[in-house]
Amino acid sequence: MFTTGSKLFFGATALSLVGAIVYSASTDGPSGTMGTIGLLSAAAVFGFLAGINFSNRDGNVPAMQQGVELTSAAAARPVRNSIWPLIAAVGAAGLVVGAVSKPVVFKVAVVAVLAALVEWMVQGWSERASDDPQHNDQVRRRMLYPLEFPILAAAGGGAIVYALSRVLLASDKDLGKIVFGIIAVLVLFGGFVFAGKRHVKRSTVTAVCTVGAVALLGVGVASAVQGQRTIDEHPTTATNSAVCLEEGSEAEIDEHASQDVSAKSSVLAHVYLQSDGSLVVQVTGYTEPPSTLTVPRSTPVTVLFHNDFSSPERLTGRFGTFGTAPEAIQCTTAVNPGKTAFLNFEIPRGNAASSSDLEFLVPGTGSTIVIVVP
Amino acid sequence: MTVFENLSSRIRRRGFLAGAAVFATLLAGCAENAPQDTFEPAGPNARKIDGLQRELFYISGIVGIIVLAAVAYAVWKFKDRGQDIPEQTHGNPKLEILLTILPAIILVVVAVPTVSAVFELDKKDNDCIINVTGQQWWWEYDYSGTCGGVEITEPIVTSGELVIPAGTPVLLRITSRDVIHSFWIPRLNGKRDAVPGRLHTLRLEADQPGMYTGQCTEFCGLSHARMRQAAVALTPADFQTWVNNQLEPYSANAPEAGTTAAVGEETFIAQCSRCHQVDDLTTAGKDDAGNDITVPVLAEPDRYVVSGSAPNLTNLMTRTAFAGWTFDLLTEECRDRLWNAPPDEFGALYLQGVTPECFDETNLREWLRNPPAMKPMYTDPNNLAASDGKTRGMPNLNLTQDQIDQLVAYLLERK
Repeated sequence: MFTTGSKLFFGATALSLVGAIVYSASTDGPSGTMGTIGLLSAAAVFGFLAGINFSNRDGNVPAMQQGVELTSAAAARPVRNSIWPLIAAVGAAGLVVGAVSKPVVFKVAVVAVLAALVEWMVQGWSERASDDPQHNDQVRRRMLYPLEFPILAAAGGGAIVYALSRVLLASDKDLGKIVFGIIAVLVLFGGFVFAGKRHVKRSTVTAVCTVGAVALLGVGVASAVQGQRTIDEHPTTATNSAVCLEEGSEAEIDEHASQDVSAKSSVLAHVYLQSDGSLVVQVTGYTEPPSTLTVPRSTPVTVLFHNDFSSPERLTGRFGTFGTAPEAIQCTTAVNPGKTAFLNFEIPRGNAASSSDLEFLVPGTGSTIVIVVP
Repeated sequence: MTVFENLSSRIRRRGFLAGAAVFATLLAGCAENAPQDTFEPAGPNARKIDGLQRELFYISGIVGIIVLAAVAYAVWKFKDRGQDIPEQTHGNPKLEILLTILPAIILVVVAVPTVSAVFELDKKDNDCIINVTGQQWWWEYDYSGTCGGVEITEPIVTSGELVIPAGTPVLLRITSRDVIHSFWIPRLNGKRDAVPGRLHTLRLEADQPGMYTGQCTEFCGLSHARMRQAAVALTPADFQTWVNNQLEPYSANAPEAGTTAAVGEETFIAQCSRCHQVDDLTTAGKDDAGNDITVPVLAEPDRYVVSGSAPNLTNLMTRTAFAGWTFDLLTEECRDRLWNAPPDEFGALYLQGVTPECFDETNLREWLRNPPAMKPMYTDPNNLAASDGKTRGMPNLNLTQDQIDQLVAYLLERK
């Protein structure tokens, strides 16, 4: 009564439903809900496919004409070798190993099992499509190439990008620039050569690309095993009054702090620590530096600090004491002479509501700029 | 009915509909009461934009007519009449060079005034700087320094109406407290986005005293359509008067003891001052030693509103509308008189503010009774979890009729 295909999908439907019930009962929270919905959706899809297969008898001749599968010309040809049972077996083993070791192994095994099942099923079907092997190959390609090409291309591209990123993270910053400059030149040179020699053998191109890809992946794996180099953190601001009210020290100097272009591109004001130690504020629209800086309340704003002094200094903002909260203090990191850093802040209420003064200052210089918040 | 008659009837019907649509569009261009008409510039910046778009319209119109005429000619000339297929040519270097150079020349011609106008509009020389901050769904303006030669000794914070001196280049420094808005006074200049964390500038200048309306032009939430604004241009002398009035101490307009307005002050402190500031307003309090003292009433909108701000009501009745400049404070008659006043009489009328005779209580009363019913806002307490209980806009305070009477009396004196 039930055809082979419909049995497969009815089984998958039942499995998904059981999985949904077990997952729903054993998992709480949003992930449980999402997983249950996913499994129920899978059950609905499998049920739909089972119904289609059941109604059209799998589109299967033997289902309507008993014994023809044994006597047809297509059946006379022996099946070809297939690697997919092996991959499915390895995947199944990986599922078990992954379940007790690392999640990543389990995930890779799931992908392997799914890929093996799909490829194996399509191969098995296509080999019986007709007695013409060429036609069978063609229908297999037509069925699977739209899946295989994008997936393999994405996987290949991802592997190359991942390998490159591991190498970059593992190597010294300056060395990385040189190495990848050379690689870029080699790729460009190779492209020129292949483009210029149109009759170069396909096997040569394939060999060169394969060697390059294998070398890159090999170096990437080695780099990943080695781990990334030590990357310094570059704090740009602090809210600790013990730090913000002290003079800048060499240890905190960061030449590359505050390289956020978007934050620097549209600022409320530029605050300059001049060579004589005085603070000056420049505001777009004002021809002369104003004596105070007006800041709208409850609005995120950015000021850019320019250190034109002879030693590393930081800009500290005292942004008021409101209610029982401690005084709001924020500062840039210590900035090298000639460098800049931005300070992004928000003052919730006006001066009148603060029990302390609002101002910018550079610790150690005695220079201040009064902040006015209407 | 034959197939051809059917087709003919359908074509006639569609033709009629298309004609009606074109006619309606043309009629819309005849609207007299169109205060936000970009084709009637009232300042040098808007005039530059208007002049540029007219030049471009003429050029592109001529190009468009030539192209359409060429297409129509080709369609008519080479219509299939059973003639032989014309000679097929592939590649005509002279024609291709001509068709490349000609558009390039047209683009260069168009680029000259365009680039020139862009640089002109980007000029930042000014005689006045005003900070403009957008939030859902109203605009706040704060003034400091000098503006058109008038010294502003204390910051002035107002909303809805941007008061500027006529004939003076004013630089707006525009930002936002919550989402992206866009400031636009069509008759004075183009649009400028207000983006949280960024500061954009826009230069306005009005030729003559008058009222120039606009509205937010970046969709910003539920009441985006009710986020309106106006620029009010005054003569320098009138602007000085306006500044002086804004800087008057609260005591000059404090309610007399025993009046409904005085009770309204207490109601305001109890109900409204959590979010709305009235400068210099004080109330009785105690110092650390328990002695009776007078303490300032300070709003804390950052605790209740997502944007962290609510309109400053110190001089509410010097404005002509409220709630994002959506609802009139003036009666229709007084509003029309003000809006249609000639430039030399406008300032005097505007500086009168909302007088008891011109006060349209209805809107304000309805607003105080249930603000979200008049202007949709996110204030439902059951749906504020995502914003930590803070509202977007003014919630219903469930005021009693007596409280509304008291508040109206109190607010009417905020001039």
